[in-house]
Amino acid sequence: MKLETRTADTATVVILSGEVDLRHSPSLRKALMELMLEKRPVVVDLSKVEYIDSSGIAGLVEAYQMARKNGTRFALAAISDPVRRVLQLARLDRVFTIADTVEAALGG
Amino acid sequence: MPSPLPETDSASHLDLIVEMTGDFAHSHDVEATLRLGLERIAQRMGAEAASLFLIDEDSGELVCRANMGPVDVIGLRLTPGTGIVGRTIDLGVPQLVRDTRRDPDFTGAVDAATGFETLSILCAPMAVRGTKLGAIELFNKKGGGAFSQTDSRLLQALAASSALALINARLVADMAEEQGLKRELELASEIQRAMLPGPQSEDSPIHGINLPARGVSGDFFEIIPLADGRTAFAIGDVAGKGMKASLLMAKTASLFRCLVKREAGPGAVLTAINSELLETRMPGMFVTMAAGLFDPASGRVVLAIAGHEPPLLLKDGTFTPIEGEMPPLGIAVELFADGCPESVVDLDGGSLYLFTDGLTEARPRHDAMLENEGARALIQSFSALPATERLEALVRSLDDSGGLLDDITLVVIEDRRSGAAAAFERRYPARPEELAAIRAAVGGAARAMGCGESMVGDVVLAVDEACQNIIRHAYHGGEGDIVLRLDREDDRLVIRLMDFAPAVDVAKIHPRSLDEVRPGGLGTHLMRSIMDHVDFLPPPAGIGNLLQMVRRIDPT
Repeated sequence: MKLETRTADTATVVILSGEVDLRHSPSLRKALMELMLEKRPVVVDLSKVEYIDSSGIAGLVEAYQMARKNGTRFALAAISDPVRRVLQLARLDRVFTIADTVEAALGG
Repeated sequence: MPSPLPETDSASHLDLIVEMTGDFAHSHDVEATLRLGLERIAQRMGAEAASLFLIDEDSGELVCRANMGPVDVIGLRLTPGTGIVGRTIDLGVPQLVRDTRRDPDFTGAVDAATGFETLSILCAPMAVRGTKLGAIELFNKKGGGAFSQTDSRLLQALAASSALALINARLVADMAEEQGLKRELELASEIQRAMLPGPQSEDSPIHGINLPARGVSGDFFEIIPLADGRTAFAIGDVAGKGMKASLLMAKTASLFRCLVKREAGPGAVLTAINSELLETRMPGMFVTMAAGLFDPASGRVVLAIAGHEPPLLLKDGTFTPIEGEMPPLGIAVELFADGCPESVVDLDGGSLYLFTDGLTEARPRHDAMLENEGARALIQSFSALPATERLEALVRSLDDSGGLLDDITLVVIEDRRSGAAAAFERRYPARPEELAAIRAAVGGAARAMGCGESMVGDVVLAVDEACQNIIRHAYHGGEGDIVLRLDREDDRLVIRLMDFAPAVDVAKIHPRSLDEVRPGGLGTHLMRSIMDHVDFLPPPAGIGNLLQMVRRIDPT
């Protein structure tokens, strides 16, 4: 797993790539929680994620809940097929705000 | 109550008693010890001769078992009540005869026959708590004169002590005999276990198991790979239990091993065994048996059955009993005069189960007998396990529930041709760093077993989640291993994960409620969403938790 962040005008963009499993999910969670403290909108670019498991999804869910509490925006963008499948299986595809592209997420 | 012994003598008398008790305690030879004891007594009491008579337990006669003096009367038998000995035993008190000529009970028969001249006799009973054992008789005080009342009291004490020592020695002998028998039985049980086939290799199409209800078993099974690639097998149950049944079992199993290589087919083998068994008649004993040949290349079994429980063919979840019409072996030669018919069973991707009535007559949790229905349900419930584990789990589930009343033996023959892809089995350390390797391996194996790409992706996720559960909930992040196994069984992919941690309370890893958006609890839900069945099975011995996940194979 690789995690990069870039600051756009309207939000912080987290670019996640590779495989997100139990080995890496603790560092994903930590990074997302730290970002949440900044109380800026966050867009997670999931286009390059090849694999994600329940522990990775759990990190996203926790960030989503924190953002809701803070009243800030938290969106997923450009989700890859493996991510889409897991979100579907977990019935979370309607819980998250999901944008087709990062640009759409930033514009929204 | 006899008056006390004279002070001066009592110490040495006690010595004598101690010596004799010691002799009995150290020696296993009761006869030799009696002889030694009698010699000590005769010497100490200054008697010219002495005899020890014991009551024969069968006839009631008085038999001379030890003797000291010029005339040997060992083995002499007297009718109960005769002579001074008989009187002593009957009355239960010492008899002092100062002058034999004046005692009407003195027969003098021995004297007449031997030339020994008996002048006086002192005889004391050997008895313990009312149980009469015999008597010790002394003849003629050395240096002339007669035995005294003091002598009488002393002999009474010595005879009583001898009786006690004798009873002890007999008890010890009985115990030793019992121990010997027990050891023999253990040995027989060991030999018998050694006779049964050992565990078959994982790729063997035939597996068997035997669990004796007691030390020795009347059940047996055989698995014999033949040179032409086929495998001969048999299962049998000898009527009756214990040593006799186990000996007949040993004979029948040996006959099978020998005849299977000589006779044309299983029908001919059973016919020949029947004849051989009846060569040496064991009345009332017979053997139920099923024997067969399995050709793994065609998946075909040729089966012959003699009075045995009908084997069950399990195919696509349905059981078909294979009935035989012949009676058990060992009853009469004529019954098999026309041979023994054979059935041809095409396994066609299924499995054939042979078992003894220990299975159908088992009473799990002391309920009703399993009968045929219960046996089928039990086989079905473990059918997804690999053969060796399956048989073990089956037998163990009965044993654990205390339902095993009889020896139980099971043999399973599997047609492995449909599982074109070999089973995948590998052991991994239970660590998050291993998950990537596990996913790669599972993906490859699932693909090889015919799963399409979308199914491969899902299955990889399900296994990953199951491994996470083991890492987090079974080992709690500690050291341990995961054994992962994938099999294709007909049109289903069967995945098993085994760990060696203490059993996990399954109720605690329930799938999370989907209305509740929160992290955690998601993994189990993913597994259940992806797979058709997710179940914790009773793990075989040595396994902590056994999770089985099954899904119909989707090749698209």
